[in-house]
Amino acid sequence: MTANRANRWTVSRLVAPVLALALVAGCATPPPADDKEAVAEWEQVNDPLEPMNRAVFDFNRFADDYAIRPAAEGYRTVMPKFGRERIHNILSNLNSPLIFANDVLQGEADRAVQTFFRAMMNSTFGLAGFIDVATAAGIPGHEEDFGQTLAVWGVGEGPYLMLPIFGPSNPRDTVGLVAEFFADPFDIAMGSIGKEYISYTRAGMSGLDKREGLIETLDEIQRTSLDYYASLRSLYRQHRASEIKNGRGGGEKVPSPGLVGQIKGDELSQSAQ
Amino acid sequence: MISRRSIIVAVTAVLLGLATSSLALASEADPKAFVSHLATTAMETMTAKGIPDADRSKRFRTLFTTDVDMHEIGKLVLGRHWRTASPEQQQEFLKSFEDVVVLTWATRFKDYGGDLRHVVTGSAADGERGITVDSKVERDKQQPIALQWKLRPAESSFKVVDLVVEGASMMVTYRSEYAAVIQANGGKLEGLLSALRTKIAELQSGQPTTKTN
Repeated sequence: MTANRANRWTVSRLVAPVLALALVAGCATPPPADDKEAVAEWEQVNDPLEPMNRAVFDFNRFADDYAIRPAAEGYRTVMPKFGRERIHNILSNLNSPLIFANDVLQGEADRAVQTFFRAMMNSTFGLAGFIDVATAAGIPGHEEDFGQTLAVWGVGEGPYLMLPIFGPSNPRDTVGLVAEFFADPFDIAMGSIGKEYISYTRAGMSGLDKREGLIETLDEIQRTSLDYYASLRSLYRQHRASEIKNGRGGGEKVPSPGLVGQIKGDELSQSAQ
Repeated sequence: MISRRSIIVAVTAVLLGLATSSLALASEADPKAFVSHLATTAMETMTAKGIPDADRSKRFRTLFTTDVDMHEIGKLVLGRHWRTASPEQQQEFLKSFEDVVVLTWATRFKDYGGDLRHVVTGSAADGERGITVDSKVERDKQQPIALQWKLRPAESSFKVVDLVVEGASMMVTYRSEYAAVIQANGGKLEGLLSALRTKIAELQSGQPTTKTN
C-alpha cells in the first residue's frame, strides 16, 4: 500500500535526525550499587535513556511552542465548540474498530459489546458519529490501544521513551502505536480506493483534537512544575498503568500512603544497619 | 439499591456542606461525607468568581492546613532525602511545599466556565488504618475525571494524605519530580529548596494581586 509506504517514509525522515541528535546525548549513569535507596529510585524512575529522552523532549517543546500548540489554538479559535465536539465524536467513532479489536484481544467481553453497540448506534442514528447518541443512551465510550493489549498479555513496558512529536511512551507502547498505524481498517480501506488524503486528514485532525483538549492541562503542569519533563514522566507512567487496568483496582500499584508502612519498614532496616 | 442510596447520601452530604459547615462537621466521622464536604468547599473556592487571587489562596491554605496532612505528605514526597535533611531544611521544605501546592491548586479551575459536579462513588479500607474514597468529577460533555482520596483518621475526623487523579498519585508525582531536581543538583537538597523559592516567586508574580503571606 502506497499510503503506508509514503507515511513510513515521512515518519522516518522526520524521526531520523532527531534520533541521531539524541543518541549523541547518550545514556544516564546509574547510581553506585552500594547506594540501595538511590538504586531503588533509579529502578522506579525507569529512565536509563534520560539524556536522550530530554533531548527529544526539548525538540518536542520547540515543535509544540512554534507549531503544534499554535495550531491547536487556531483550531479552537476558528472552530466553535459545537463543531469541535462533532469532530471529536466522528474521530472517536472511526477509532471504534481498533478499540473493539483490542477489547476482544484483552478478553474484555462486556467492553467489547459496549464498543460494538456504540459504533452501531453512532454510525447510524448518530449520523456517522456526528452525534454521540450512545453516551446519551447510557453506553459511555472508553479508550483502548494495542500497547495496553500487549500489557494485558504480559509484555513489560521497557524503559521510558520520549518519542519525537508523539511524546511520552515506551518500547511496548511504541510497538502498539506502529501496529495500529498499519492495522487500522478505515485507513486500509481509504488506501485501497486511493483516497489516502482522507487518512492524512484524519490523522491531522486527531492530533489537533487531542492537543486542543490538553491546552489547559499541559499549560498548568508546565507553569507549576519545577521539572516539566520529570512531572510528565511520572504522570504518564502512572496514568498508563491505571489505563491498562481499565481504572480498576484503584492505585494499588501506585505507591501512595499504602506505602507508608513500606517506607517506615525501610527506615527500620536503615536504622538496624 | 445500595448505589442509589449512597448517591443520595453523597448528595445530601454535599447539600449539608453547602448549607452550613457546622452541620457537616457533625457527620465527619463518615469518610464519604468528609470527602464530599472537602471537595465541594475546594471546588467552590477554586471556581468562585470575582474574588482576588490573594483571598482565594488564603481560603485554600486554610482548607489545606485543616483537612490535608501536609506534614506527612511533605515527608513522603522528600522520601529518603527527608532523613538526611537538617531540621531547618525540613522546616523550609514543608513551608515551601505548602506554598507551591496552595499556589498550584488555588487557581487550577479558576477559568473553568462549565459546570463541575463532584460525586462520591464508594469507599474502602486501605491497609490497617487508611481509608480510600472513590469519587468522580463530572463535566459537561466530557469524560468524568476519576479521583481517589487517601485518608487517614485524625482526632474526630480525617486528613487527606494523597489524591489520585486518573490513576496518577499527586504524592508520587511530586516525589518523582523533586527527586529529579535534587539529582540534577548533584544530590543536594539545597538545589531543590532554591528551585522551590524561585518557583514560588514566579507563581506569585504571575498573580499580581497576591501579597507574600
